[in-house]
Amino acid sequence: MALIAIIDDDPDIIEASSLVLKSNGHEVITASNPDDGFKVVTEKNPDLIILDVMMDEPDDGFFLAQKIRKEKIETPILMYTSVSKTLGFEYGAGEMVPVNEFVEKPISPDELIQKVNSLLEKK
Amino acid sequence: MAEIRTKVLIVDDEKGLRLGTQRLLQSEGYLVSIAENGTEGIRLGTEEEFDLAVIDLKMPDYDGLEVLNKIRQIHPNTVCFIATAFASYDTAIEATRLGAFSYIPKPFTPEEFLYQIEQGVKHRKVILESARLLKEREENLLELAQEKSKLNIIIKSIEDGVLIINNSGQIVYFNNSVLKNLDMDELAIGDDASEVLPAKISEIISKYFVSFETVNKSFSTQIEIKSDNELFIEVNCSPVPQTDGSFSGVVVIIRNITETKKIELIKNQFVSMVAHELKTPVAAVQGFLTIILDKNISTSRDQEIDFLSRSSVRLKGLLDLVNDLLDISRIEMKTKQRELVNLNIPETINSTLVFLQLEIEKKKLIVNCEFEDNLPVFKADLNELTRVFTNILSNAIKYNTDGGYIKIKTSMTGNYLCTSISDSGIGMTEKDVNNLFQEFFRAKNEFTRGISGTGLGLTIVKRIVESYHGKVEVESEYKKGTIFTIKLPITLK
Repeated sequence: MALIAIIDDDPDIIEASSLVLKSNGHEVITASNPDDGFKVVTEKNPDLIILDVMMDEPDDGFFLAQKIRKEKIETPILMYTSVSKTLGFEYGAGEMVPVNEFVEKPISPDELIQKVNSLLEKK
Repeated sequence: MAEIRTKVLIVDDEKGLRLGTQRLLQSEGYLVSIAENGTEGIRLGTEEEFDLAVIDLKMPDYDGLEVLNKIRQIHPNTVCFIATAFASYDTAIEATRLGAFSYIPKPFTPEEFLYQIEQGVKHRKVILESARLLKEREENLLELAQEKSKLNIIIKSIEDGVLIINNSGQIVYFNNSVLKNLDMDELAIGDDASEVLPAKISEIISKYFVSFETVNKSFSTQIEIKSDNELFIEVNCSPVPQTDGSFSGVVVIIRNITETKKIELIKNQFVSMVAHELKTPVAAVQGFLTIILDKNISTSRDQEIDFLSRSSVRLKGLLDLVNDLLDISRIEMKTKQRELVNLNIPETINSTLVFLQLEIEKKKLIVNCEFEDNLPVFKADLNELTRVFTNILSNAIKYNTDGGYIKIKTSMTGNYLCTSISDSGIGMTEKDVNNLFQEFFRAKNEFTRGISGTGLGLTIVKRIVESYHGKVEVESEYKKGTIFTIKLPITLK
C-alpha cells in the first residue's frame, strides 16, 4: 500500500493506470500537466511518481523530473515513454534524465505492477 | 601516277624549246601547260597549283626568278626548276635562295631533262607527304589541347570537390570545390594527404595503402565538417588503376550534402511526431481493453461501457488523423486530381455551413454572413476549397463559447478575394498563434481540454490555400475570439 502520483496529459491513460494500481491496493493521485504535477508531488509527498515524457511539449516530462530532483525530492520516478524506442532513441537514466525506470506505452498491467513494486521495495 | 597525272608548267619565251619539252613530257604521260612569257607564267602558275614548274631565267618581260618567287608565294609546294643558258654562280645561289629545287643548264638532252623532272617528282611527293603529316599532327595537337582544356574546365566548374592522391599518398590534383566543401583555407600539390585531410578521409585512404585486396573497392562516408548541420559532406574514394591494373592512386569526390541532411532531419522529426500522435490513442485503447480483459482487475459493467465508449472516441480521432495525414501526403505528392471549376465563394461557404448545421445548433451559435455583391468567381477544386472552409468553420464552432457568434465576410480587397471568419471563442495567446500552423500543434489551456482534433486541420488549410498562391492570416485575442482571413488571388481584367 503506497501513495502513487500519475502525471500524464492523457485522461484515458490516467484512468487505466489508476485502476490497475488501485486494484493492487495502492492509492492514486493524478495531475494532467507539469505545473499541477509539481504541486501534487510537493504537497502530497507520494511514495512513487509515474511521469509521462511528452505532455505539452516533447520534453516536458524530462524537465519536470529535473525540477523535482532540484528540489532534493528523491522519490523514485517511473517514466512513461511512447515512441522513443521505435525511433531508436534509448534513454538511459542519468543526470539529464533523473528517473529510475522506464515503461513503454501501451502499458501491460502486469509489467506496470512489477515495475512499481520493485521500485517501492528498493525505497 | 596512273590516275593522277603529274602537272607540269613550262615557262619559256623560246618557242622551239617550249614545244619540244611539251612533246617530250606528254609522251612520258605528264600533263603539260605552257606559257610563252613571264606574265602568262605567273598567271597560270598562281591560278592553279602545279606539281612542277620549269622556268626560263631570261625572258623579255620578267626575270625567271621573279616568276618563281610569285608562284611560290601562292603555292609553296610547287617544285620549281630554273632553266638557263647563262648559268652563273650568283644566279644559282639566288635561285636556290628563292626556293628553286634545281637548276637546268641549257642546252640539255632529253635524257638529262627527264632525269631532272623525275627527281622533281620524287621531291614533290616528299613535300606533299610531309605537309600532310604536319597538318595531321597540328590538327591532333589542337584537338588534344582542346580536349585537355575542356576536361580542366569541367572539373574546375563542378560543385563536387575532386581530389587526386598518388600512390605515395601525396595530393597531386584538386579543384576549388575541395577547399569549399572541406572548409579549408589552404591546400597544396605535394601535401601529404594523411596530414592535411580530415581524419575520416585519411582513414579510408590509408586502407588502399595497407592491403592489396581492398584496392578495387570504393568507399563512402559522411562527415559533419561544421556542427549544427551547417556543413555536411559525403566523401567517395575510388582507386585509380594504371594501364596494367596496378594501383596508381585514389580519386576522392567530396560532395556537399548539407541541404539533403536538413531535409532528412525535418522528415525524421515529422515521422517521430506522427508516430507519437498515432501511438497515443492506440495506447489508451489498449490500456482500457487489457483492463476489461484482465481477470485480476474487477470492473463493473458501467465502467466497462464507459471504457469502451471512450475507446471508441479515441479510435474515431485516430481515423480522423489518418485521413488528415493521407490528405497532407496527397497535397505534398501532388497526386490529388484537381478538378478546376469556377467557384462562387459565398455559395461554397453556404453549403459548408449546411454540413455543420447540427454542430452550430448544439452550441446555439449565431452565424452572420455578409457577402459583397458582384464578387468574381475563383477557379479552384471544389473539394479543396470546401475542406478549407470546413476546417476553419469547425474550429470557429469547436472553440466558441455557447451562444456565441460567427461572422463571415467576403469582399474584394486589391487583387485578393478575401474571406474573413471571426468567432467569439476562446481565442489564442500570441505564442499559440505563432505555433498555429505547425503540424500537430494544438493550443492547450483550461478551455481546450475535452476538445478533440488532429492538430493537422490548419496545416491542411495553409497548404491548400498556398497551392493556389493565396494567403492565410490570423488575428486572435485570448478569451475574446479569433479572425481567420483567407486571401485568394484574382487576376483583374
